[in-house]
This record gives sequence, structure tokens and C-alpha cells, in this order.
Amino acid sequence: MSGQAFWFLSRATGVVSVVLLTVVVCLGMVTAGRRRPHGESATVVMGVHRWLSLGMLVFLAVHIVTAIVDGYVPIGWLAVVLPFSSPYQTLLVGLGTVAVDLLVVLMVTSYLRHRIPERRWRIIHWTSYAMWLAALAHGFAMGTSDQPGLRLTTIACGTVGGLFVAWRLVASHADRERRQEINAQEWT
Amino acid sequence: MTDLLTMLDEAGLTGRGGAAFSTATKVRAAREHRAELIVNVCDGEVGAAKDGWIVEHHLHELIEGAGLVAGDGTRRAVRYAAHRGSRTASLLAAAGLGVLEVPHRYVSSEETAVISAAHGGLARPMTKRAPFVFGGRDSQGRRIAPTVVLNAETVWRVSQVARFGPRWFRSFGTTDEPGPRLVAVGGHVPRPGVYEAAAGVALSDLLSLAGGLPPDARHVGVGGLGGVVLTASAALSTIWDTPGMKRHGGALGPGIVTVWDPYACPIDVAGELIAYGAGESAGQCGPCMFGLPALSQAWGELGRRPGVPAQERLQQRLSLLERRGACHHPDGVARFAASALGTLAAEFAAHADHRCQKERRPHAQFA
Repeated sequence: MSGQAFWFLSRATGVVSVVLLTVVVCLGMVTAGRRRPHGESATVVMGVHRWLSLGMLVFLAVHIVTAIVDGYVPIGWLAVVLPFSSPYQTLLVGLGTVAVDLLVVLMVTSYLRHRIPERRWRIIHWTSYAMWLAALAHGFAMGTSDQPGLRLTTIACGTVGGLFVAWRLVASHADRERRQEINAQEWT
Repeated sequence: MTDLLTMLDEAGLTGRGGAAFSTATKVRAAREHRAELIVNVCDGEVGAAKDGWIVEHHLHELIEGAGLVAGDGTRRAVRYAAHRGSRTASLLAAAGLGVLEVPHRYVSSEETAVISAAHGGLARPMTKRAPFVFGGRDSQGRRIAPTVVLNAETVWRVSQVARFGPRWFRSFGTTDEPGPRLVAVGGHVPRPGVYEAAAGVALSDLLSLAGGLPPDARHVGVGGLGGVVLTASAALSTIWDTPGMKRHGGALGPGIVTVWDPYACPIDVAGELIAYGAGESAGQCGPCMFGLPALSQAWGELGRRPGVPAQERLQQRLSLLERRGACHHPDGVARFAASALGTLAAEFAAHADHRCQKERRPHAQFA
């Protein structure tokens, strides 16, 4: 494959990764913020959330490998895991690395969820918002700077995700409300 | 040391808080793990009074029993868990004992809730992955040192077994459920109070201790909110032991017999108890924090508009609570509601005809 093909492949998989990641994050917010977890739909949402996140890994892996193998700009294999170590676009590539690192933490802790206290898993899972933002910023500022179509895709992802965040903040949640109500009672 | 364990084994003493677990086994485990001892003096069940009665009348024997159980290898001094602001708590404090004050709430006197409070946490039940006498962790992963909780009557009985021997102990009760037991007889009886009894006596004899079952009495509760309700006639023919109570879906429990006020609507009385149980949820498990209020609501609807749809709704709620919740609080309330539903069938039928025991008395006039 020529260098040009790697470059196109890296861009395309990067954009697909951002779109899939946004869908996964939104489904996660639906799961966490739903008012009434109805049997089947909740299972479907949960299942898609899990499997889509694994499917996204394929695109992400191709995105990372092709970006480095392309060699047109110096990034280096270390930058896959160590943030801000890329000679090229240190900050922006670093944001992508931060997202990858957080993604690894999220996946490992979710894989070991049954061995981790629920509360700890939940706190760790909250970092997915930071991971999503880092990935969006990385995608917005780097890959799509000269392509209006791709840039609009990233903006759309940010807008949709932002709407879900707003819904999550505003939505009442029977479980949380009942817990707060009971927590306010005398327990010590 | 081992002498006491052998004697407890021979005596067959079981926990008097309601769970009826072998005290010898529990004390042996406590000794092995040098567990801290907490004596539960909460009288947490609805209608319970025996723990306070022991503090009032047999405090030095209670302290002696606690000393025997603790031995000399415990990590820290014995503590006595009592409801905050209760007379029992002030009596214990006045005697210079270490008092662990817990809020005056139903689930806060549950074993693991007491342990949580003893370790500086909230007085709410914890998930018991293994008995806390081995030590464990709370839901946040904090370490909980080995701790054993014994009911006040159990501890008092330990001192009696040590003093009078297993043979004396076994001269009370039945072969399967030996030993004297305290029973709080309350409600609509001439002389409510705490009485000495034993398993195997007739419920009518238990009631006689408090002056007998009044002729106008219609319902008798056994075991409080975690127990069952019987009609007065069923109560008079029931033997108070595990087989006898099992026939009505109940157990010996923590020793509570309550005669219901015959001039109050029994559906309302049961409804108030269920609503109380729903309000006492610690908000940790779904079946408890949502299931119990739903059950309470379904009960109220059936009382107002008895009929097949309301009945089915209530049955559905009940079936969803069975064996749910980490501390079995929903299970207990559901058992009580199921028992009341069966026992009060005639009252629900009267409600369907727009009549109620409360309106005219006695209810038999309508028959």
C-alpha cells in the first residue's frame, strides 16, 4: 500500500471511531439515566453499548497503526501509550493518546467489573466523559481541519453527545431520587 | 473456656433475636477470630420489649453473660447496641457500660446494620458475603474487623446455662427447641408485659400470662412485622413452637405476641404496619426501596376497592419480593402481608360489600 492509502485509511477509521465512540457514550448515558429500565429495550441498549465499544476497537487499532506506519509525519510507537511524546503535534496527538489510555482503563475495569466494588467501577466509568472529549478534540483539531464534511461529522458528534449530557443532567431518575430521599433520613 | 462451649452445645441454646442460629457455633467462631462482641439490646421488632426488660431486671446477669462470651481475648470492650434516646440506652449508660447508640429505626437493629454502625458507618444493613465474625468488607470496600452480635436474651441465657447447667436449661421447652424464652405479650390484653415461657406451650397459655385473650379479640399477631397474623380462633388452637407456627407461615421469631385492637379496622392496622415497613427501607436494594412502597400502595388499593384486579396486583407485588433484598427486610414485610391477606379474607369481603369491622361492633352483627 502506498503512503497515501495509509493516510486516507487512518483518517477514515479515525472519523468512524469518533462516530462509534459517540454512539457508545450516548447509549451508556441512556443506560445510566433511564427513568424506567424496561426489560428488553434495556438489554438491547446495554448489549449494543458493550459490543459496539468492542467493535470500535478494530477501527481505532487501524487508525493508530496506519497513522504511525504511514511515516509521513513522525509520531512513534511510544506515543500510542505515552501521552505528549509524539514529535509531531505533541498536544493534539497527546489528546488521542490520553483517550486511548482512558479507554484501556475503562475496558479493563468493565471486564473485571464483577471483581470491583460497584461504586469504584462507577467512579472509574465516569472518566468516559473525559475520554470522549479528548477524542473529540483530537479529531476536531487534527484529522478534519481541511475537510468540511469530516469536520461537520465531528461537530455533529459533539452536538448529539452534548444533548445527551444535557438530558442526563436534567432527567429525573427514580433510583437516585429515592436514594437521596432515604439518605436524608437519620442513619447515624 | 471450652467448658462454656460444651455446655452451650449440650444446652442447645439458639439465638433469641429470631434467627435461631446455634449460639455455641457462633461463640466458637467469635473466640477463634477474637471477634468484638456487641450485645443487641435494641428491641428492634415491632412490639418487642424483652431486651429492655432484661436490662431493667437482670442487668448484672447480662453483663456476666457478655463476659463469658467475650472471654479475655477480644480486641475491645463489649458494647451494647440500643436505640438512641431509649430508656434502655440510658439505663446501660448509667451502669457505666459501653453503649452503641443506633437510630430508632427498624432496619438499624439488624445484625449487619449494628456492625456497620459499630465501625463508624451508617446504621444500614450490609451485604453478608460471609459472616462478619470472620471479618469482612462493607459495600465501599472498607475493612470490617471480626465482630459478633448476640441478642440480649441470648447473652442472658448464656449466663444461666453457665450457672444452672445444660440439664436445667433443657428442662424447659421442647427437645428441638429447648430452654426458657421471653415473650412480649402486648396490645389488647389485660396485662401487657414480658413473660417467661418456652417453646411448645399453647398460644392460649401464653396469652393467659397477660390475662387471657379477651372475648372480643379478633386477630393476634405473632412475631411483629416480620411475623404473621392469626384469627383469634386459630390462635387459641395453635402451639407456640416452630412446627405449630410454620402451619401459619410463621416462626418463633423474637418472642412477640400482639392482640390487635378489635375496634380498629384490621385492614388498616396491617396497612399501617406495611407502610411503616416500606418507610424503614435503607434504600440500598431495589426490591426494598421500590417494592415495599409499591406493596403498601397495592394493599391500600385492595382495602379501598377489593376485587380481582386489586388482588392480582397485590399478589404480583408479593411474589416479586420473595427472597429479595440483601438483609431480607422486604422478605419479612412480604411474609407479613401475605399472612394478613389470607387471615383477613373475611374483612376484605366485608369491605367489598362496603362494610367494615370498625363501623359497627362487633363485626359478627353483620353475619
